[in-house]
Amino acid sequence: MSAATQHAAPAGPTGTRLKGSLFRAELLRFRSRRFIQVLLGLSVLGWLGAIGIGLVLFDHPTDADYAAAQREYDLAIVGEEEWREQCTADAEQSGQPVVDVCGPPLAVEDFLQVQPFDLASAAEAGAMGFAAAAAVLAFLVGATWIGAEWSTRSIVALLFWVPDRLAVMAAKIGVLALAAAGIGAVAQAAWLVMAWVLDSAAGSGRELPDGFWGELLAAQGRAVLLTVLVALIGFGLANLTRNTGAALGIAFVYFAILEGALGAFLGLAAQRWSLTVNTVALVVPGGTRIYDYSADYTVEPPSYLVTNLHGGLVVSAYVAVIVGVGVWLFARRDLH
Amino acid sequence: MPAVEMVGVSKTYRAKGGRPFRALDDLHMTVGSGGVHGLLGPNGSGKTTSIRVLLGLVRPDPGPGQMRLLDRPVPAELRGVIEGVGALVETPLFSPGLSGRMNLRLLATAAGVPRARIEECLELVDLRERADDRFKGYSLGMKQRLGIAAALLKAPRLLVLDEPSNGLDPAGIRDVRELVRRLGHDGRTTVLVSSHLLAEVQQMCDSVTILARGRQVASGPVDQVLSAAGTGDVRVALPDPAAAAAVLAAAGYSVSPAPDGQVLVHGAPATGAITRVLAEHGHYVEELVRVTPDLESAFLAITGERA
Repeated sequence: MSAATQHAAPAGPTGTRLKGSLFRAELLRFRSRRFIQVLLGLSVLGWLGAIGIGLVLFDHPTDADYAAAQREYDLAIVGEEEWREQCTADAEQSGQPVVDVCGPPLAVEDFLQVQPFDLASAAEAGAMGFAAAAAVLAFLVGATWIGAEWSTRSIVALLFWVPDRLAVMAAKIGVLALAAAGIGAVAQAAWLVMAWVLDSAAGSGRELPDGFWGELLAAQGRAVLLTVLVALIGFGLANLTRNTGAALGIAFVYFAILEGALGAFLGLAAQRWSLTVNTVALVVPGGTRIYDYSADYTVEPPSYLVTNLHGGLVVSAYVAVIVGVGVWLFARRDLH
Repeated sequence: MPAVEMVGVSKTYRAKGGRPFRALDDLHMTVGSGGVHGLLGPNGSGKTTSIRVLLGLVRPDPGPGQMRLLDRPVPAELRGVIEGVGALVETPLFSPGLSGRMNLRLLATAAGVPRARIEECLELVDLRERADDRFKGYSLGMKQRLGIAAALLKAPRLLVLDEPSNGLDPAGIRDVRELVRRLGHDGRTTVLVSSHLLAEVQQMCDSVTILARGRQVASGPVDQVLSAAGTGDVRVALPDPAAAAAVLAAAGYSVSPAPDGQVLVHGAPATGAITRVLAEHGHYVEELVRVTPDLESAFLAITGERA
């Protein structure tokens, strides 16, 4: 620091009120975080890999493929017809729709080893898959975003500059929500790009049903919301435990153990409020129906439809509690 | 106008399962504007806690205690006063994966400090050439210097440095000392330095507050604190020390021989009386020096600690 001795006292801003932007600073911090950059980079590589795998898996079947499928169909249909007759009789006797009980009848296309990409049937499943991937990524990003701050305690240093703890938390949460929305939107856009590539290279050419795009975009919109909410859950858990690893551990224990136990011991009532069920219900078009297989039933177990709205509200409530408690503690606790 | 004022502030830590620990016990501390003020005390005396309480990181116990920073009540008006306060508390806290310059840029953006100021501060602490290296690759001394640069970014009116020499090599310590002294005497900055290096405080500070068990046990200009803790001894040099010692003893003084043929007069309240007594008996003083203890001795005497 020898040069230090040759300089005059600081001639920085004095007397005038400094106008900073905590949000801009946090946005800059988010963009600069190397681990987040690595996670996003790996996700892009995974996406490119998925496109490559899709291009290998999907193709237009040749006459030889159809001939091979026909041979397999002919072998399978003998036993299938016998079973189907019995299944149809049972279904009609119980008054259930045959398709619901026995499924659609076999077709030659079911035995094709090489299948074209069918956008109409794959779009929703793909959107859900990308939503799940984006949610996992967002959870990691959310947890490491605040977990690393606690690990280095740079969040404490920030309070020497902005002593308003709620403002600091609000800026961090705001940046994360914005970034998670971006991640969710980019993930859904990535799925559309991937679907377009696969459809262009090996599409079935089947006409899309009415309302296809409206339903898909609505599901994708809900997927973006899910990404934001899951990111905030990751943030909230890491903020409560002040540790990224602990947040991941809690998530694992909850999903792998606790929810299973809840489902097994508490039945339908508990499942209605479980995070997994409501997460799925939020994004799947029309919500999801849960069944209580532990109840006594003859034809169909008791069920409950968890709608998109129900799912969104319950997941939001989880977020509010997890994040809210962490913020409240941060605002009140002594910091060292 | 005091730069820092704490009146009757207490802080009790309550660890789970442990006994409450009173880190600050009705602490009164005043730091005047300008100059360099040292905060001294043994481990656990409340130095860092008092800084944390002032900066809003730790809540004081409820009660009538009051605090002011730059003449404004805190924590009520901390938001308004913080832009005039730069702080380095204990270890520098930065993102390890980011460069030194980027870490400063994040803080500067949050506070609205112009980018040019970042370069000025990096230059001040001689870190410009390594500013683009990642923080985690810095040596302890470089990290400390970056922490000081961050504290200086706002060109603060009050600069709070908690153990600023930690990890620095001797040249770095000297530079920090000079920087602190220069800032403290630039006519606008007050520097509050907490340090366990007593010699450093003695060389660097104009005034000092000594804490023990969460209370202020001494405060004031360094010279005054030293003399208050002094023994009142006076060392007298003269041609015939043995005869002079006899004269002084006859006059009621407690004397003992000192090295180099001098006489040590114990507990002498006024030096003028000594020279008068000696002159009346034909002993003319060549040198008379009041023996002042160094800050370490004073500190140990005041806090009751033993080396």
